[in-house]
Amino acid sequence: MDNQVEEPLEIVVLGGGTAGWMAAAGLAALLPASRCRVRLVESEEIGIVGVGEATLPHIKNFNDSLGIDEAEMMRATNATFKLGVQFVDWGFKGSRYVHPFGVHGSADSGLGFHQQWRRSLDAGRDWDIQEFSFACMAAQANRFDFPATGKPTVNSTYSYAYHFDASLYAKFLRRLSEPRGVIRTEGKVRDVEQDADSGDILALIMESGERIAGDFFVDCSGFRSLLLGGKLGAEWEDWSKWLPCDRALPVPTERCGELTPYTRVTAMDAGWRWRIPLQHRTGNGYVFSSRFIDEDKARQDLLDALDEPTLAEPRLLKFQAGRRVQSWQRNCVALGLSGGFLEPLESTSIYLIQIAIMHLLPLLPGKRYDQRLVDEFNRRMDVEYERIRDFLILHYHLNSREDTELWRYCRAMEVPESLQRKIALFSHSGIVEQYKDGLFTPPSWLSVYLGQGLTPQHFNPLAEAIPVNRLIKELDDLREDIRDRIDELPKHSSFIARYANAQQASDMLLHEAEGRV
Amino acid sequence: MSERVTSVAVVGREAPLWLAAASVQRALGRTGVRVHAVELPSQLTEVDVYAASPTLAAMHRLLGLDKQLLFKLCRAVPMVGQRFSNWARNAPPYVIAYDDEAPAGELPFTSYWAKAALEGLRVGFEDFSLGSACARLNAVPVVGEDPGPLSASYGYHLDASAYAVLIKQLALRLGVEIAGSSVREVAATGDAIEAINLADGTRLAADLYIDASGQDAVLISRLASAQFESWSQWLPCNRMFAASSPRMAQLPAFSQISAFAGGWIGQFPLQDRTAITAVYDTAVVDDGEIAELSAVITRSAISGDAVLSALRTGRQLSPWIGNCVAIGETAVALDPVGGLPLHLTHACISHLMTLFPATAGEYQEADAYNRAIGSFGANLRDFQAAHYRLNRRFDEPMWDRVRDVSAPAGLQRKIDMFAARTMIPLADEESFDEQSWAALLLGCGVRPQGYDPRVDGIADQVILQKVQQRLRDVASIARQMPGVEQFLALEQPSPALVGG
Repeated sequence: MDNQVEEPLEIVVLGGGTAGWMAAAGLAALLPASRCRVRLVESEEIGIVGVGEATLPHIKNFNDSLGIDEAEMMRATNATFKLGVQFVDWGFKGSRYVHPFGVHGSADSGLGFHQQWRRSLDAGRDWDIQEFSFACMAAQANRFDFPATGKPTVNSTYSYAYHFDASLYAKFLRRLSEPRGVIRTEGKVRDVEQDADSGDILALIMESGERIAGDFFVDCSGFRSLLLGGKLGAEWEDWSKWLPCDRALPVPTERCGELTPYTRVTAMDAGWRWRIPLQHRTGNGYVFSSRFIDEDKARQDLLDALDEPTLAEPRLLKFQAGRRVQSWQRNCVALGLSGGFLEPLESTSIYLIQIAIMHLLPLLPGKRYDQRLVDEFNRRMDVEYERIRDFLILHYHLNSREDTELWRYCRAMEVPESLQRKIALFSHSGIVEQYKDGLFTPPSWLSVYLGQGLTPQHFNPLAEAIPVNRLIKELDDLREDIRDRIDELPKHSSFIARYANAQQASDMLLHEAEGRV
Repeated sequence: MSERVTSVAVVGREAPLWLAAASVQRALGRTGVRVHAVELPSQLTEVDVYAASPTLAAMHRLLGLDKQLLFKLCRAVPMVGQRFSNWARNAPPYVIAYDDEAPAGELPFTSYWAKAALEGLRVGFEDFSLGSACARLNAVPVVGEDPGPLSASYGYHLDASAYAVLIKQLALRLGVEIAGSSVREVAATGDAIEAINLADGTRLAADLYIDASGQDAVLISRLASAQFESWSQWLPCNRMFAASSPRMAQLPAFSQISAFAGGWIGQFPLQDRTAITAVYDTAVVDDGEIAELSAVITRSAISGDAVLSALRTGRQLSPWIGNCVAIGETAVALDPVGGLPLHLTHACISHLMTLFPATAGEYQEADAYNRAIGSFGANLRDFQAAHYRLNRRFDEPMWDRVRDVSAPAGLQRKIDMFAARTMIPLADEESFDEQSWAALLLGCGVRPQGYDPRVDGIADQVILQKVQQRLRDVASIARQMPGVEQFLALEQPSPALVGG
């Protein structure tokens, strides 16, 4: 017997950031008390990195499975809606495209839509594929509504995520989880007790002297990777030759006048700058490579580029792109930054935490070590990390910018074979490789390829099966349908005000901001 | 500006040849593509049969083929699955059926069943499969106007020669042209075919060549990079014997696959006869004995012109090289267990169409095709290899040998995860869903030791209810389904009304 009729597994989560509280909340909510008891150890003295503040649509599934009320969560975290990411100056200076959480084309045009669109270019039309994406067009119009359900109309062709304050989200999850039985211990870890033979972690020894024993440890200690990296010595795989950014300067600014329902990501001389609109403030930051710019210049470039007045000083974060080769070793699994780091260009940090939890749940071990479960978890996470890695590299590599060293380096660098192959196929005839597991479906790849200037040379001959006049007419109609429907959507900011207005405090900020405008 | 592919030559025989030619013609004929077929002499005889999985229906829809023709012309009998006997000593037969997948979002039913079974439930997994229940009742799971909570699909047993003729007629009607019937020489340089010189002296040149010649690999084997990878360590049989026996008094709704010391013998019911296929290892069984052995094992009189042929399992490492695309059994040569050749042909054609070369002379799409077919073929091989690898026919040399070979990595992972957690980690390009894999592995004797811990979050009462409800649904739905004979007699079969 594997794990039946046993005492519940004693799980100790180390770290109370987004990863820690997501893990605790997920384990406590989705597993019965007969299976596990969850204890979380955190110290208020240790800062939270607050990985990104933008999410992917998957977060809604996670929240739903925890029984979270969306509007309540949004109010508690100053959240706004997100329909995608707008990329500015990526690929080439002056570029501007949205990577939408949705498809291009109508609800039933399937994956062949871009082939038809490509054919229309040869027929003399020069329209942008974004004009055929409901999510892109809604985002650019600063409008939002929930996707239509139940009927295959074009306003059902997208999903959405949130921008939120990740530390408030962690607090929200804490409020939810403690009543569900998660026991929180405040304090710093002084030492870690390990089994001399197996290396298994036996207990955390707190500075107070308290000994917190467990069967299974979830390392959410952030970059320090106290357990997996520090105690179990998990091997680190460095990906910085492909993803050379190694510094970030986050800085909050005042709330922006019109809330954009998208994250904006602008390419800079030596990296990129994010802009994430929340209800009460705007998150900004410059992710850069110390090989290509020094910190002072980066700070100045960041401050010069901001749209709104700052609310605090930028503070420097250091990191390296890469991951622990095995994020589960012995009786310890690392979630979030302690398991790996990929820059938040595509808002994947919280997704990686979530997916690790979702992979861990069915594979959660019993009290006895089972290599099969460990191997399967690590295999799944390999797939997740590598898919995202390749997709991020694509953003850097696919550029024709001559203006700075970083961009020249990235264009010339040799990329992983798995990515090279994908680019070659798309460039030739618009083929987007599909896979079952892991992030980023064909519409995502499509939007980045096309947005950064890679138009396929050819298209699939099957696209020629319908007469070209009919095709152009269909595309015209679709474009018009999208425009008409978007004109009727509410503004994002008024939708938020009605659906999930955070607090009086933020209203005051809003009035202040409007007063200045 | 590069040129489009405007001419396609398909070389091969029987159904794969005509399915490929008809598909290309139907999809691209109106864009000006011309399709020439070189029809090699058929190797089918009157005894051959195709066991076709339900996926074939999708291809028939694309081609505009009326399925009633299968019943009228190909002596088709509906087939809900395959029943495996004697793959283990002292174990009951098991059925692998084609149950439709449960709606996404819920935990798979296998988890609930596993928990119940570990806690003492004595009802086998098969009793929760609508397809298996239909197999027991010799019923066909047709879909009525009001789709119930569960559904299953069915394929066909088809007379192979008649089916090939039917598809040939369809292809010709669509506009496929016959170029010849015998290849004198394939003119190839390196990885490019220049032309096919036919026996009658004509020279057939095309932008794209499709090799549907089966194990002969008439075209692709001429290319410099062609390489065949053998799978005989996992699929050990090297000979096939085909024959007929009389029609069964009551037509079963399944293929019967019975293992014996030297391989297995299959019975595939048709409307007018029963097709018999024996697949075996010549190191164990002499060709001279197989006819009699087949008669003994199937307890039937073997008649017709029995035919022997060589069997070589494996795959072309690159099924698309240069201007030549191998499809079906030319690309992936499987064991006949499971009745997959038409499924394989269909999948290769589908991939070829979505990756149809955008220009003549470049063929970058080959890379994507080769990856997809590579993964697709490996998954099918793993499914077949499980039957052999997990056999429990101890003290028989062939079976002992194949049990000792380590399983392909993908299969081992599925076995491990099924044993540990009743989970099936599906890969890209899988043909079988979790439930089919579960039926296979349970049938092969893999016993789950655990399940998804989330199941414990659901009250025992709820699980019990789910399990009982499903059991009732399976039984009551299966009872409404028409029997095979009744199905064949009706033009539009539908579930019977449950009357008082």
